[in-house]
Amino acid sequence: MTSEHFASFLVFIFIHVVAFAYYIKGLLSPKMFKVAVTLVASVGMVLCCAVVAVLIAMVASSPTKGWSGRSLSLLDPTYASKYIPIIASVSEHQPPTWPSYFMDINVLAFLVPAGITACFLPLSDASSFVILYIVTSVYFSGVMVRLMLVLAPAACILSGIALSEAFDVFTGSIKFQLPGISRNSQIDVRDTSSAGVVTQDDGVKTDKNEESLKERPSKKNKKKERENAEKALIKPLLEKRLLVLPLEASVISLLLLVLLGAFYVVHCVWAAAEAYSAPSIVLTSHTNNGLHVFDDFREAYAWLSHNTEVDDKVASWWDYGYQTTAMANRTVIVDNNTWNNTHIATVGTAMSSPEKAAWEIFHSLDVKYVLVVFGGLVGYPSDDINKFLWMVRIGGGVFPHIKEPDYLRDGQYRIDSQATPTMLNCLMYKLCYYRFVETDGQGFDRVRKTEIGKKHFKLTHFEEVFTTHHWMVRLYKLKPPKNRIRGKTKKSKTVCVINKASSTTSSKGSGKRNPWQ
Amino acid sequence: MREIRLDLLLLSLALLFAPAFSDLLLSKVDRRIDLTSHVVRITSTLKVENAGTDPVSEVLLAFPDTQAKNIAYLTASTIEGKGKTKSSSVSLPIQVVHPDGMPPSLTWHSVSLLKGLSKGESLTLDVLAVFTHTLRPFPEKITQAEIQRVAFQESAYYLSPYVVKVQSLTVKHSGQFESYTKLENSRASGSEIKYGPYENLPSFSFSPIVIHLVNNQPFAVAQELVREIEISHWGNVQVTEHYNLIHGGAHITGEFSRLDYQARPHVRGASAFRNLVAKLPPRAHSIYYRDEIGNISTSNLWGDSTKKLLEIEPRYPMFGGWRTSFTIGYGLPLQDFLFQSRGIRFLNITFGCPINEVVIENLIVKVVLPEGSRDISVSVPFAVKQWEETKISHLDMVGRPVVVLEKTNVVPEHNQHFQVNYKFNNLSLLREPLMLISGFFLLFVACVIYVHSDLTISKSSTAYLAKLQWDEVQATVQQVLNIINRCLTIHGKLEASLRDLSRTGDVQACKSARKSADSSLKELSKELRPVLILLQSSSQAVQILPKVEELVAKERELQEKLMLKHSTVVDCYEKKSGGREVENRVASIQQKITALRQEVDDLLEIIDEI
Repeated sequence: MTSEHFASFLVFIFIHVVAFAYYIKGLLSPKMFKVAVTLVASVGMVLCCAVVAVLIAMVASSPTKGWSGRSLSLLDPTYASKYIPIIASVSEHQPPTWPSYFMDINVLAFLVPAGITACFLPLSDASSFVILYIVTSVYFSGVMVRLMLVLAPAACILSGIALSEAFDVFTGSIKFQLPGISRNSQIDVRDTSSAGVVTQDDGVKTDKNEESLKERPSKKNKKKERENAEKALIKPLLEKRLLVLPLEASVISLLLLVLLGAFYVVHCVWAAAEAYSAPSIVLTSHTNNGLHVFDDFREAYAWLSHNTEVDDKVASWWDYGYQTTAMANRTVIVDNNTWNNTHIATVGTAMSSPEKAAWEIFHSLDVKYVLVVFGGLVGYPSDDINKFLWMVRIGGGVFPHIKEPDYLRDGQYRIDSQATPTMLNCLMYKLCYYRFVETDGQGFDRVRKTEIGKKHFKLTHFEEVFTTHHWMVRLYKLKPPKNRIRGKTKKSKTVCVINKASSTTSSKGSGKRNPWQ
Repeated sequence: MREIRLDLLLLSLALLFAPAFSDLLLSKVDRRIDLTSHVVRITSTLKVENAGTDPVSEVLLAFPDTQAKNIAYLTASTIEGKGKTKSSSVSLPIQVVHPDGMPPSLTWHSVSLLKGLSKGESLTLDVLAVFTHTLRPFPEKITQAEIQRVAFQESAYYLSPYVVKVQSLTVKHSGQFESYTKLENSRASGSEIKYGPYENLPSFSFSPIVIHLVNNQPFAVAQELVREIEISHWGNVQVTEHYNLIHGGAHITGEFSRLDYQARPHVRGASAFRNLVAKLPPRAHSIYYRDEIGNISTSNLWGDSTKKLLEIEPRYPMFGGWRTSFTIGYGLPLQDFLFQSRGIRFLNITFGCPINEVVIENLIVKVVLPEGSRDISVSVPFAVKQWEETKISHLDMVGRPVVVLEKTNVVPEHNQHFQVNYKFNNLSLLREPLMLISGFFLLFVACVIYVHSDLTISKSSTAYLAKLQWDEVQATVQQVLNIINRCLTIHGKLEASLRDLSRTGDVQACKSARKSADSSLKELSKELRPVLILLQSSSQAVQILPKVEELVAKERELQEKLMLKHSTVVDCYEKKSGGREVENRVASIQQKITALRQEVDDLLEIIDEI
């Protein structure tokens, strides 16, 4: 429980106190009630003061005044990036871009200002609440992308108001100007007779405001109307002043509004199908031969769940924690529950350390397998190399020997030949690009659009156990500790293997003795 | 390996001292061993001759225990008829026997002949024995790049309790081999290794041979396969197969490099298999292939009128020792598999799995019959473990009877049809829909009863009475509102008549309109009186009464003003006074009318809300 919960709790308590007071008031006579009020108020004040004092003391004792990092970064958008990189690292905690507004709320973005104006026209309690709601939610959504969720209902309400007002005006002005249609119903007749009067002064005004192009024909129209009205000799006055637009303009605007709504529906369906409900675990791409499915994540998770021991532990960046737990049924070191920052920092440190140090960290965590996500072969941009800087930052936040500048060349994050040696020797780089150069001979990374810096290297403490079809997930196993010591024997073994491979397969295996010969 | 060799040696020593068994002798034995897949098939053609005097009715087949435990399938057949008509082969019953006085570590199978073999007669017997887990990977662990080698042990001589006159052995393999035990008369050519012919060998002759060969066939072993066949008499047989698959060949050791595998899959992944082909019945539909984390997108389906081939690819290439599990499901049309004769229905469907060359260590076939089936019996062409259970599914009352058949060591030869007979009344089909219908019907009936019943405990309680009164008041207020609305409509008519007047100048029509309006308004006010009295008498209406009264008063006022306006306008028309004059005279009245109308509208809304 953190400080941001106070407000809601206090409101909750306050409502209950008020309700209780009313209840008591109903039970007691006015005199008794006064006595009770003084009694309860005096005792209650003392109690409240005590509680508030304790609370203030507790809140004041914490460095952030009891506010959690997420809510602090709401109030101060730069807070998380300064102090809590793990919050800042999540992509949905980033401030949104303008295209993302347009993508998420589309035409609502333009209708909301109109809705706000409509709310001000008669400013009632309800409309002022709506205005407050939209203002706060716009602010929050500006701080974090994920709070677009808060903005969405507010935007919907206000655009609804705007649309309804617009429809009201347009349909109203059509109705007033089509007396032929509505003659039969006598209420309309009354309105039509009054409309002529109003259009003289009001219609022209609104025209000037909104559509100056349409002014002329509409004016002519008005004149005819006026003549009609004068002939009728009935000029009742209406208290309500109606906004009346020219007939053509309102019909066209109505059509345009309907069209806008229809396009918005199309956009919503598309966004819901493609952007919101497309699973991020199965990726698809449309090629000339049809749909191409990238099912690498599930491939790796299925491999893990079937071909490793049940109690093996898997280390990966925390993004894949819950997925691994659920789909591969294996214990992970860190997962999407980011309460424990230190643990995540440990894994981040291991990923940004050189191989041996990383092996030691992982070994101390009893890790058997390391999982990295690599998009360089097929161009999958949200892979671990792109997230790597956050691992460095989060790791460096807890373990100061990891320094972000070590991984940056002149403040730039790069993995090509200009990259720093620390970068080229860290575990993440090695696990991602292990034998990558052999795929095309150059090691061209399709996400970073560059050739990788260090192309030929061997792993000494890790061995590749599985790589998925599109290389998107690579799994490495920690070599057992004895292999570290046995440097020489290992070399001789590799020589032996090479020899064996050179001898042709048709002849009998030269290295091993066949017991039946 | 060495241990087994020792065993075999001991066995052969023991065999040397065993006596000849009976008067039968095998004049010719021809054995062909097929090692091209991971299932070993030994086809032996025995020419049995009765050299004794007594007729013999059974022939004994001997297998060493080490082999016998891997026998998955064993049949013996003889060719009926002689000369040109020998076309129909008859399979003979086989059973395990334990004859006395025989050397240890042998398992005996006895083939009963249809008719005894009398003196001097001869008979040709075809014996097919299928073994699983007999090809042992050697070495047991290989790297990704190595090819898979397996070792196979057999006896070069036919192990038999009878004297064998002439015999030969042919071993067929995939073409590459490392070594084979060289005896006299043994030679290798192409994809075959031949031993023999050997002549006049005594009974229980045994000479172990080992063949070390290359075998990159998929060693697909299903450790467990659960086939669930669910019959729905609405027209579908749903088959669901849960596989638990392992590559049973040499285990992979060291790194698995996707790079090597992708660059040269047939060299750097020779021992792996990436797909399996299931042969489904031609009219299979709604086929799916999934595992516990969702649909597996790497599958392919094609077929023609005789078969449907489902090519499934596990999520990852299967190397030695790797496991996977998945589920295949498909629906079949009922009329192809379920038949009816004399009131008994029987399901006729294949027993084994549709994927070719898969060895199943433990196969469980569950046949889920519809609820209400009885007199269930199963006929399977080979021995299986069998029991019954029930399965509760949607809308079941007592559960569906399930026949469970279990068999270990199943090879493709077991892919034979088996039958489940049961009785089922067609009326039971309607049970579930009727249950649903009656359920909903009862629900609606309950709703109707609830709405219509008066569940008040005390009919004289104040709350109850107040509620009744309040209902009454509401009804009355509704009546008042109706009347007022009708008045308002008449007002509208009056206005309309004025408009007509302005257009046509027909004063008479306008007057008549007014007259009719007047009379109907009077009637309405008459109607209103008793209703208002009723409302005044009710104690519950205290709250609403003033509003209603105000409404009535305002309406009356409005009525008067309208009449006034009407008469003024009509007067003006009669006097033919100018438009402006009319306007001036009417303006003040019109203002009042608008105000009144507004008030009436507001009151109507307020009363509505109450």
